[in-house]
Amino acid sequence: MLLAFGNFTADPSVNLQLLIGGLALGAIYAVVALGFVLVYKSTDVLNLAHGEFLMLGAYFALTFLISENLNFFLGVFVLLLVMLVFGLLVHYGIMRRMVGQGFFAIVLITLGIATIIRALLLIFYGPTERARLDLLPQGSFEVGGATVRYVDLIIFGVVAACVLLFFLFFKYTRLGLHMRAVADDIEAAAAMGIDPDKVYAMTWAAAMVMAGVGGLLFGHVTGAIDRSIEAIGLRAFPAAVVGGLTSLGGSIVGGLVVGVIEQFANGHLGTKWREPVAFSVMFVVLLVRPTGLWGRKDLERV
Amino acid sequence: MSSDGLDLRIEDLTVVYGGVTALDNVNITVPPGGFVTVLGANGAGKTTLVRSITSLLYLHKGRVRRGDITLGGESILGKKSPDIVKAGVAQVPEGRKLFPNLTVKENLLCGAASRSDVDAIDDSLEQNLELFPQLRPLLNQTAGLLSGGEQQMVAVGRALMSDPALLICDELSLGLAPKIVHRLFELLTEINERRGTSILVIEQNASLALQHAADAYVLELGRVLIEGTADELRGNPMVQELYLGGGGEAHTSYAAIERPSRRPESHGRRPPVSET
Repeated sequence: MLLAFGNFTADPSVNLQLLIGGLALGAIYAVVALGFVLVYKSTDVLNLAHGEFLMLGAYFALTFLISENLNFFLGVFVLLLVMLVFGLLVHYGIMRRMVGQGFFAIVLITLGIATIIRALLLIFYGPTERARLDLLPQGSFEVGGATVRYVDLIIFGVVAACVLLFFLFFKYTRLGLHMRAVADDIEAAAAMGIDPDKVYAMTWAAAMVMAGVGGLLFGHVTGAIDRSIEAIGLRAFPAAVVGGLTSLGGSIVGGLVVGVIEQFANGHLGTKWREPVAFSVMFVVLLVRPTGLWGRKDLERV
Repeated sequence: MSSDGLDLRIEDLTVVYGGVTALDNVNITVPPGGFVTVLGANGAGKTTLVRSITSLLYLHKGRVRRGDITLGGESILGKKSPDIVKAGVAQVPEGRKLFPNLTVKENLLCGAASRSDVDAIDDSLEQNLELFPQLRPLLNQTAGLLSGGEQQMVAVGRALMSDPALLICDELSLGLAPKIVHRLFELLTEINERRGTSILVIEQNASLALQHAADAYVLELGRVLIEGTADELRGNPMVQELYLGGGGEAHTSYAAIERPSRRPESHGRRPPVSET
């Protein structure tokens, strides 16, 4: 990718290139932020293990699609199914016992989950890094002097499809309605006969599946698959916060905005500025609008 | 259509939050098809009573230490809240507790979470809209934007969507204009008489509740202080002193008013009720 260092330029093709790269990166952030926001909105849990979830997805993609060499679509299906089971495991094994506990106790539990996942991956996959995934079509084409990689285009399309699917699910299915009801008011939802336990379980499963999709996609653009890719969770955090931790739509816009800003900072100011700029955007948004651009509720819901 | 009212019995119920006792040895009965009110000031334990019946104590770290709650002769203690709704208990929670970001229609549909027959749910929705015709044009409005009165109608409608045998209303009158509260109580009476739904009304507005209910209990500091028919309570000097007279909700004339018939045709003759 064309990523210049420290040279300010008004060259439209360079800026177009940065925009395209930013949107592709932003789409990945969006998918991470979506899983993050989904859990926060529905269960009130600030899930600090979401980066590890995504890492789990990337490693499982390695196993099913490379090592086991399954047919691509079958492999993706198995990957997402396994992620779903892990999501249910997280709820029924751990998070379920934490319902009604204090906010920070639960946050610490998610940190514990993150540690467990990292440890398990180290045990089963070892410390050596693996080559990134290469299952999507490589190659690229030119638009207005900028290079568009097929991989980026596919990532963008897959994320858009996921978002659309989510939207339809929440708007038109009974379970989606119940999930929104629990997000609005868990006690009222329980009083209506909605089982929060079931809704929470589905939320964790959905977040894990999203992380599976994210891991599969991110596995194609990261330098290598190793235990450092959990940092994507931290890097997508500004995206979720900028969008507002309670807004699914906001997480998408937040992801894209942060991705593009990061890429422009990277291109015009240099790599070392990428994360400071992204987090600065987050700080400014939080100062001006503490609930994020589209967040509805107060973030301090302990 | 609605199933027959179920017999609710609360026996020797003691509920604690941590070390604090919220209900102490409480006995309350709602007969099948009955209309019962539980009166009491803030902190009397009224909402704890509702949470105990609907199995929501766990959300507030409360637990039943002693006693039993039976519905139609079967203990419902330890059941999960969805099962209790399935068994026929619906509630209008204190402060309405609508889902603010959901539309009116979605709110109503959430009330039918315990049912799966789509046609029957549609029927209930239609019945609700006949009961509250004001809600029909508001179906696609976001519930959080409605007026207090409209929200309370949605809250009652939502509870009715589960086709309950027992409807529990917690502080229906809170923060609403007297006229609206009055109308809501008339509707409760109508539901009680026409559908045979048992009704348990938890209220601070004693005068209005005593007008409509058949039996009444006064809860104070977690104990049942007084119990009897609504007539008896209206004639009770202590109830008059504490809940009907003197204070801001003064309706001293009620003692003199004959208990109105609970038939709908008498509604027009109700004295106006004022409330702060």
